Amino acid sequence: MKTNRKMFGLMATLCAVGLALPPRAAAQVSEADFNALKATVQALSDQVHSLQQTNVLEQQTHEQDVEQLQQLREKLAETQQIATNTEQKIVEAAQTQPIPREPIDEATVNHNFMMMGDAEFQYDKVAGQHGTFYQADFAPIFLYRSGDNILFEAGFDTTLQNNAPNSPGYTTTFNMSFAQMDYVMNDYMTLAVGDLLLPLGTYSQRGAGWLNQVPDDPLAVDALIPGSGVGAELEGAVPVGNDGAFANYAVYGVNGPSSADGFGNVSSLDLGGNVGSRSDGVTANLHSDPSGGARLGVFLPLPFKPRYDLELGISGQSGEWDDAGTHLWSAGVLDAALHLGPDFEAKGEYIMTRFGSDDVGQVTQQGWYAQASYKLAGLNLNLPVINNLELVGRYDSVIDGLGTVTERYTAGYIYFITNTLLFEGDYESVHSVGPAALPPNQVILQLSLGF
Amino acid sequence: MNISKQKWVRAVFAAVIAAMVAGGMASTLCSADPTPGGSPAPTNSVPVQTNAVAATPVAARMQVTGAELYSINCNRCHPERYPTERTGAQWKTIMLHMQVRANIPVSQARLILQYLQDNSGR
Repeated sequence: MKTNRKMFGLMATLCAVGLALPPRAAAQVSEADFNALKATVQALSDQVHSLQQTNVLEQQTHEQDVEQLQQLREKLAETQQIATNTEQKIVEAAQTQPIPREPIDEATVNHNFMMMGDAEFQYDKVAGQHGTFYQADFAPIFLYRSGDNILFEAGFDTTLQNNAPNSPGYTTTFNMSFAQMDYVMNDYMTLAVGDLLLPLGTYSQRGAGWLNQVPDDPLAVDALIPGSGVGAELEGAVPVGNDGAFANYAVYGVNGPSSADGFGNVSSLDLGGNVGSRSDGVTANLHSDPSGGARLGVFLPLPFKPRYDLELGISGQSGEWDDAGTHLWSAGVLDAALHLGPDFEAKGEYIMTRFGSDDVGQVTQQGWYAQASYKLAGLNLNLPVINNLELVGRYDSVIDGLGTVTERYTAGYIYFITNTLLFEGDYESVHSVGPAALPPNQVILQLSLGF
Repeated sequence: MNISKQKWVRAVFAAVIAAMVAGGMASTLCSADPTPGGSPAPTNSVPVQTNAVAATPVAARMQVTGAELYSINCNRCHPERYPTERTGAQWKTIMLHMQVRANIPVSQARLILQYLQDNSGR
């Protein structure tokens, strides 16, 4: 526009100049004047040409600006659309119920199957015998959980034993210590079937190798009662009050003790051999009736301080044992455990058994153990070794009813390398008289791992 | 072993046991600190603080918690196992085993399991 005005102005100027010039007179125009006028016109023409070119460039720039403005408008519209869509998606997501994600553990059976257990390695020195390293036990426990209420559990003991004299090498013994299926029917009743750990006292069920503070079992537990039996059991527990107390029960039926050779002599008694399948392939109980048993227990947190508690239990089992079914085998156990805080424990069991026999008549056996332990961390000395040390003492005895009386005094320690790796040691002083008398003393050092 | 030596051994043993019982009871009953001394510290796992039980006797409170049930029951038979040692699903399997083995109430086992799963961290 400016250019056009300039041009128009120029033209007007030229016209004005032309009109202002007088008509050609007869008089002559000088050559100098003509040339000057010619030069002026040329200069004006050049200026017009330059203004025309500038006008073209400005037109082009204007068009580019218009085009760019249009593009920006389009981009703005696009961005606004994207923002609107995003806002809609956010609103929709907030309104949608989230799908609960199942923990990946539950989606695979691998985490329903576990291996736990323990392993013990010992150095033993029994009086009158050479000291020895001893692979005491490798005892895996396999657990398989099917859903929330069904568990299959099985435990094994793997031990090494030299072959008979004049037979080189050794034998690996792999025994199934228990295998049972547990079905939690409701909050108060669980059915367990299989090769059961028997609730005669509590040691058999809770005395795995690394659990008890002393490396070997109480004399009476090993000698007088079976640790397991094939059968079925109902057990359960009922809370009492709101402080953690409860009462529990267990009722069971198992094949029961039997005769190793079919006869009713004392030496024939076999506490753990009646598993329902005979060596000749016949599926049968070795005697006509199974054995029945039960345990009743109470667990009482004591009101003095936290982790003060007392557990008491009474249990028993009875049934025939010889093939002829003429003799009963019966057992009764009293068990107790006391905790005074997290550092002190005292526990024990009294066991009595009674059975009839063809050769000796009525045999009564009894035994008991009392064990106390104290974790030195309770002294609050905060010393590095002391804090991880637990002292333990045990007295146990057994009267086998056949002339052998054994008393044993045990003093030992547990050093907690970790909460699952224990270094234990004890000295056992034994006083034993009779035909089955034990050696007078022994030292046991044990490294045990619970996993 | 002759009779005098037997008596000597029995006397020494009885004295040791009596001293341990008396010392244990004295240090726990007479302790001014209501918080228990705690189990030995392991060196291969990170312990979860489970000994911080309130000084108020359990019977005075309305309902025992999963943490308290864990501290009451879960080191009676074996050294304390820490919640961080297992995943939540593994604890579910283990607690079924322990519930049967210790014959504890199902409702208490559920509370213990919830505590273990909440604190397993995985």
